[in-house]
Amino acid sequence: MAAVATCGGDAGSAGSAVATGSKSNVTSFQRRGPRASGTNDSGPRLVSITGTRPSVRNGQLLVSTGLPALDQLLGGGLAVGTVLLIEEDKYNIYSSLLFKYFLAEGIVNGHTLLVASANEDPANILQELPAPLLDDNCKKEFDEDVYNHKTPESNIKMKIAWRYQLLPKMEIGPVSSSRFGHYYDASKRIPQELIEASKWHGFFLPEKISSTLKVEPCSLTHGYIKLLQFIQNIIYEEGFDGSNPQKKQKNILRIGIQNLGSPLWGDDICCTENGDSSHSLTKFLYVLRGLLRTSLSVCIITMPTHLIQNKAVIAHITNLSDIVVGLESFIGSERETNPLYKDYHGLIHIRQIPRLNNLVCDESDVKDLGFKLKRKLFTIEWVQDNYLRQERNIYPPGFSYLLKQKDSAWGEGSLQHSTFLMSFLAKATAFASRLVRHSEPLKQTGSGRICQAAGPRLWHDGRRQEAPGLLGIPP
Amino acid sequence: MLDSLLALGGLVLLRDSVEWEGRSLLKALVKKSALCGEQVHILGCEVSEEEFREGFDSDINNRLVYHDFFRDPLNWSKTGEALPGGPLGALRAMCNRTDLGPVTIALDSLSWLLLHLPCTTLCQTLHTVSHQDSCPGDGSPVGKVHVLGLLHEELHGPGPMGALSSLAQTEVTLGGIMGQASARILCRRPRQRPTDQTQWFSILPDFSLDLQEGPSIESQPHSDPHIPPVDPTAHLTFNLHLSKKEREARDNLTLPFQFSSEKQEALLRPRPSQATSHIFYEPDAYDDLDQEDPDDDLDI
Repeated sequence: MAAVATCGGDAGSAGSAVATGSKSNVTSFQRRGPRASGTNDSGPRLVSITGTRPSVRNGQLLVSTGLPALDQLLGGGLAVGTVLLIEEDKYNIYSSLLFKYFLAEGIVNGHTLLVASANEDPANILQELPAPLLDDNCKKEFDEDVYNHKTPESNIKMKIAWRYQLLPKMEIGPVSSSRFGHYYDASKRIPQELIEASKWHGFFLPEKISSTLKVEPCSLTHGYIKLLQFIQNIIYEEGFDGSNPQKKQKNILRIGIQNLGSPLWGDDICCTENGDSSHSLTKFLYVLRGLLRTSLSVCIITMPTHLIQNKAVIAHITNLSDIVVGLESFIGSERETNPLYKDYHGLIHIRQIPRLNNLVCDESDVKDLGFKLKRKLFTIEWVQDNYLRQERNIYPPGFSYLLKQKDSAWGEGSLQHSTFLMSFLAKATAFASRLVRHSEPLKQTGSGRICQAAGPRLWHDGRRQEAPGLLGIPP
Repeated sequence: MLDSLLALGGLVLLRDSVEWEGRSLLKALVKKSALCGEQVHILGCEVSEEEFREGFDSDINNRLVYHDFFRDPLNWSKTGEALPGGPLGALRAMCNRTDLGPVTIALDSLSWLLLHLPCTTLCQTLHTVSHQDSCPGDGSPVGKVHVLGLLHEELHGPGPMGALSSLAQTEVTLGGIMGQASARILCRRPRQRPTDQTQWFSILPDFSLDLQEGPSIESQPHSDPHIPPVDPTAHLTFNLHLSKKEREARDNLTLPFQFSSEKQEALLRPRPSQATSHIFYEPDAYDDLDQEDPDDDLDI
């Protein structure tokens, strides 16, 4: 009885109540755990931190990256304790936007922020965060926005290839604030009261180190050491690693590091191939990951990998990060004029997805992902989606005589139909490759057979020439 | 455009090469800012002071504050004239300036500094100098700082060039055709798309800028003249275009897998032969007509 009484009294405590008074029990197994009808605030219960949810696949605690489209691609969100590395695009427009979405998501969810930068004051970065779309009034404007954007071509329902309309689309649309990911309006600034209500720590490198200090050479660049110490202090003092037991309400620490690896951090990895501090960035990532794994924090890093001279270092960095997303914008490149990419602002490459407590990872099999930035929405789509939405790209107009007759012997799924299709396509590529090689069209032999197979061939002087295919514009 | 180059502030890189030299453009921009009333500091490392001041009027020469690092770069003569700390010290001293008003700092040349100083230190110092106006400590408005750096692009590898390009607000690459100089201006505004323009110009003997239209472009044949461009859609055995009638006919066609209302009615209408259905069986020569169950032999 005494034991039962002590058990009931200490129901919430983690300590055991086994030792005393077990004589009067029948069995030596004691129930240690939460009483359903007992206390209401103490006791181990399911950890529910705002802004997180467990993954449906392996139970990992996930946070949103601020972009629901990116969350979907990463398998539901960013796992707590991991590093998201974003390889910057050339002019650092879209990567800084993703960085800001991440921080804004932290503010909306009430997480603590740590912003580290070498070129901008963190207070300025926070002032420029996008405003969240929280209430349902925005849904109306949002639908109008999407509707106005639709071109007249896409409104025509497809008649032949109607199955392509059933392809799953990325989920778009604002959601209420209780859901996992939020949408942001990139043209408006976040309201000042939200910033003031949030808790944030800033690390601005020129303030933390004085430039006239004579630095002794060591394996880690001075700026990186300072940053690691700063992060460690914050994690320890605020109890994100469980070291402060009086912290009742658990919270997530969102760390954002901007332009890591640029010369402004004191790292010469972007300037030379084999510098003095060629390993300091990789060591930094290693130590950072150790700090993150033992605390309730998640980190986003943007890195100008297009400037890094030693390509082997990029492979090391990819291995030392958990999720690696590369952004490639079309500004100034020749892809801007490619008709396939005309609706997109750039490509997004998911280079690595981690295997956390798993043997396999959730890699999606779609490789060509493009993104476009509209005022209220940052969408990520499969590039072919847009192209295939126009039906005429699947069936060229030359099939009219096939379909003209109602009871034509050539039904749609028939064998003759598909062989015709194949031969037509083969002939067309053969035409295109012939044009590239000889600059004159193939003379029709009349028998319908192709004399030479299509495909890349060697010129007589040994150079290879590729057939531009159907997508290329003939000269 | 070239004349509004200095309006933005920040670091302006002038990339020149052996064929198209950039010092005259640098001097023209220096003269322009001096005439605008700005304070002009010059870090001269590559050419002597007399050579740099050549061609300027006396009033402009009086406005220029020249820091000479060409004559005695390592301060061996120890006369006390040279600034302590070399060019880096001079740049750092400009970081903490007390007087307000716009300032132009011309670096002649940035290549010299890149070769003599570590790249990261130079980048950090340039960043601090060019971003002074963004965060005034005591709230007083500080004028814009323009840093003009002359960079010889053939002297450096892609690493330092890329690092400096990412730091610069504006990048001017000099080139030209047939004696006519052009400047390709790439302007990176902080959160907007970069703009890319080409401006043809020439520098007059008194170092003023003369903006010009491009040279007359002779029509060059794009393709080889004796092979005419071919139309791949000619001489085909099949039809790649639709006439209007054909398009209408195609649109009116009911496709086999579409579930239209006629099809629905046809399926729902009870067919006359549906009530009784017969199966006619005609045994083949090889069919076994034995009615017995072959499993009856098994004695279970």
